[in-house]
Amino acid sequence: MDNFIELKDVKKTYVVGDKEFNALDGVSFSIPKGEFVVILGPSGAGKSTLLNLLGGMDNATSGTITVDSENIEKYSKNELAEYRAENVGFIFQFYNILPTLTVLENVDIVKDIVKRPKSSKRILEDVGLKEHMNKFPNQLSGGEQQRVSIARAIAKNPKILLCDEPTGALDSKTGVEVLKLLKKQCDANNGENTVIIVTHNALIAEIADRVIRLKNGQIDSINVNKHPKSIDEVVW
Amino acid sequence: MLIRKMIRDIKKNLSQFITIFLMVFIGVMAYSGIEAYMDGMKNTSDVFYSENNLQDLNVMGAINDDDLKEIKKIDHVNDAERKLSVNATTDNDKTLLLNFIESNNISKFYLIDGEGFDINKSGVWLDEFYAKENNIKVGDTILVKYDTLELHERVLALVNIPDHLYDVRDSSELYPDRKEFGFAYLSINEITEKYIKSKVMNEANIKDEKIFDYAMPNFNYKDYIYFNTLMVDVDNKDNVDKVKNKIDDEITSAKAIIKIEDSASYVTYQGEIDEGKTYVGVFSGLFLVIAMLSVITTMTRVVKNQRIQIGTLKALGFKDRRVLLHYIGYGFYISLIASILGLIAGYYLIGNFFISLEMAFFEIPNGHPSMNSTSYIVALAVVLIVALISYLTCRNILKENPAETLRNKIPNVKKNSLNITTKGIFKKMNFSSKWNARDILRNKMRTITGVVGVASCAMLIVCAFGMLNSMDYFIDLQFKELYNFDYKINLKEDVSDTRIKELENIYGNNTSKTYGIEIKNKDIKESNNIFVTDANEYVRFVDNKGKFIKVDSDKGIYVTYKLAQTKGYKLGDKIEWHIYGENKYYTSEIVGFNKDPQNQNVTMTRKYLESLGIEYKPDSIYSNQDLSKTKDVDGIDIIQDINALEEGMTNMLSMMKEMIILIIAVAIILGAIIIYNLGILSYTEKQYQFATLKVLGFKDKQIKKIFIKQNNWIAIASLIIGLPAGYYLTDWLFKTAIEEHYDFGASIQPLTYVIAAVGTFVASYIVSRYLARKIKNIDMVSSLKGNE
Repeated sequence: MDNFIELKDVKKTYVVGDKEFNALDGVSFSIPKGEFVVILGPSGAGKSTLLNLLGGMDNATSGTITVDSENIEKYSKNELAEYRAENVGFIFQFYNILPTLTVLENVDIVKDIVKRPKSSKRILEDVGLKEHMNKFPNQLSGGEQQRVSIARAIAKNPKILLCDEPTGALDSKTGVEVLKLLKKQCDANNGENTVIIVTHNALIAEIADRVIRLKNGQIDSINVNKHPKSIDEVVW
Repeated sequence: MLIRKMIRDIKKNLSQFITIFLMVFIGVMAYSGIEAYMDGMKNTSDVFYSENNLQDLNVMGAINDDDLKEIKKIDHVNDAERKLSVNATTDNDKTLLLNFIESNNISKFYLIDGEGFDINKSGVWLDEFYAKENNIKVGDTILVKYDTLELHERVLALVNIPDHLYDVRDSSELYPDRKEFGFAYLSINEITEKYIKSKVMNEANIKDEKIFDYAMPNFNYKDYIYFNTLMVDVDNKDNVDKVKNKIDDEITSAKAIIKIEDSASYVTYQGEIDEGKTYVGVFSGLFLVIAMLSVITTMTRVVKNQRIQIGTLKALGFKDRRVLLHYIGYGFYISLIASILGLIAGYYLIGNFFISLEMAFFEIPNGHPSMNSTSYIVALAVVLIVALISYLTCRNILKENPAETLRNKIPNVKKNSLNITTKGIFKKMNFSSKWNARDILRNKMRTITGVVGVASCAMLIVCAFGMLNSMDYFIDLQFKELYNFDYKINLKEDVSDTRIKELENIYGNNTSKTYGIEIKNKDIKESNNIFVTDANEYVRFVDNKGKFIKVDSDKGIYVTYKLAQTKGYKLGDKIEWHIYGENKYYTSEIVGFNKDPQNQNVTMTRKYLESLGIEYKPDSIYSNQDLSKTKDVDGIDIIQDINALEEGMTNMLSMMKEMIILIIAVAIILGAIIIYNLGILSYTEKQYQFATLKVLGFKDKQIKKIFIKQNNWIAIASLIIGLPAGYYLTDWLFKTAIEEHYDFGASIQPLTYVIAAVGTFVASYIVSRYLARKIKNIDMVSSLKGNE
């Protein structure tokens, strides 16, 4: 079970003008399968960069990233696309759902790329959007839109769910609902799904199995929560 | 699901896709339509010429039986036929070109109604157009008079003939008047023995028939029929010159041998095709380029605006190929449908419209547009270009990794280019000007497309109106300045000198004579005319600038500027020439140039002609007397009214005018679409910044001003380029597109520039104002937050 995800000395360097800037500067850690992980850090710490690398949306400048014993840094563009399609579910701060498709269609779209998708309708029922299935995104509230994005990610039945500030644009009540959905996904599938949340909201750390703190592109600390709180126990 | 997304995206950006649709549609329609028209013209004549066996050579001269036999024996000659062509008048004073023939295997009749040629049939095979204009039907009888011959002929058939697509009574007429002039074919047997006999007796000065019969017991009138034209059919176009030279060398009675390509009917029809070809190249090409430019910009923007969605699809795990195919589909289907409809509309609307115009002018059967492979290739290329643009734009976005794609992209600006706006005059600019200057520098492609599009439209409008101006100018020049008479009297060829003197006494001694000549230019012999003037101020001459000049040198010849230009003649050059039908060559020095809008020829004074030892026998008299009621005067062939001549010219140009009106219409539609389209594009792209300005506290009115300012700049820049370009395009078109014997140039009224400038600017301003209204509806929050 150990080291489902493993990063070794990962660097990501951006060149801005004539200066180099290390968004990630030699990051190493590992995550076992089935954990609910929170990555914390202030703005500019490298959280989103890390998530992008894990999701195969960007390449590291150096170092290795192993997921399920595969070094994804060696993947070709197409292999990366396949990796994203089959293994990773993404949830963004600003949802990134397709505005011209209805709620149901936004979730159904994964059928085009995934071999064994889950039933879109059931998932939408699970996330509480049964009534809104035929609406367009602009007819929904922010929380509802985020739930569409979660439904879409879950429909792929991914091994890893990567969430970039999933509650960032939501009020606290809606945020809690979203977190519950994510936790539920983590526990599903016999607890084999890994959820990684990037946030600067330290409260979320209390419900995590593992908390990785980043600072200036480097690991500040890694804490394993022996007894994570349930979502309802946390005072938001 | 992606197809659904595509359909909804198209719906969401409907106005932009409609623009793309319209641009492609209009571009392809204009191109393929004019192409179908031109190819239709060519195919129609090719078929008619070959199926009805148009002759390759016309031999002028009194061709007797022996000559005919000799010519038929020449290598490469398929066949030869003689005809006697004469101008005859009808009982109601119309003119018919009568052609008496022995057989009809060359320039065969195309029967519209009635029966085919038979030498033993008595009657007339009549010009279809003439018959229609004069309401004559098969079975009717017409009366024609030629000399002392009076023929009552039954109409056997209405025909079209490849040698008579275009017939005018006199070369100074430009527009065929089918009501007044037509052609008719008859069997040679219709020429009576009595008529020939009396002619021969007259020539021999024998009054008494008995004496004649006694003197010529074996008289066969057929031996005395004077055929004046021989048509030769050569086996292969490559051999025409060989046959021509052979006839020239061996047949002494051949006074002039003219290739069919130099005959008026052929030249005029071919000229129409050549003229059209330039239009195909220039206008339809321009339309297509302008349209495509706009389509490309729009398509690029549409795809670029989908950046975040492309990123999302990638993040979801869609492979590049799928995403590419999805976005290629956007432009592909729209432009495919638009191209197909454009081809259909081009053929049926534009092609048919122009062909039917032409077919009313040229007497040729089965005229129809014809679509050739170029149109299909162009249409396909348009679709592929649109697809390629989508592909390239999308690929550029896909090149980035998805993480980057999902970030909102700020336009890439090179530091240097914006540096300009911090220096010099830019420093003193107010905020809105500075903002616009930078926006333009940041969106160079969009700005360039805008300027090119609007400038092209202004150019086309100047050109279209400018062509109308120029034509009016040349009609005025020809008929008010150069022709300074009311009537031109054409004398009969066989009129006697004493009769000419009498006529001069009545109508004035302002005369001229035109000789058909052959000019030896190095080794090439070229047909031309010499206009010998003794017309005093009745026919005037101008120089290149339209100023009157005197043609009075008795030392040499004058040539027109265009002739000098095409043949490379300079002042003081000597040219060698001979009059058709005579073998003696003369060498004359060029002593001056004159401009002639209609004919590119040589002019000399009567005195100079006589100094060469050639007798001057006028063929035209110019007069300002009222001759509207004068007719049937001995020695006079026809009297031409200058107003009728002017009308002929105007009529001929009216066809061109219809084309020009179409150009103006398309230019205006295209211009409006381009201005609107670019306006929308620039508005959409600035919306985000406008929202920011709003947040900062700018008032709607101030923002509107900023927006409109940039569009006004673009309009002004476009006019600065477009207006002069319009002049040069007009000038170029008149100099290259028009038939060789015309010498037109651009002569554009200031009003035209004003119309084009004001029209373009106002259109641009209205669109800007219309779009600026949207500014007050910008929702600051959603505009700043959303990517959509």
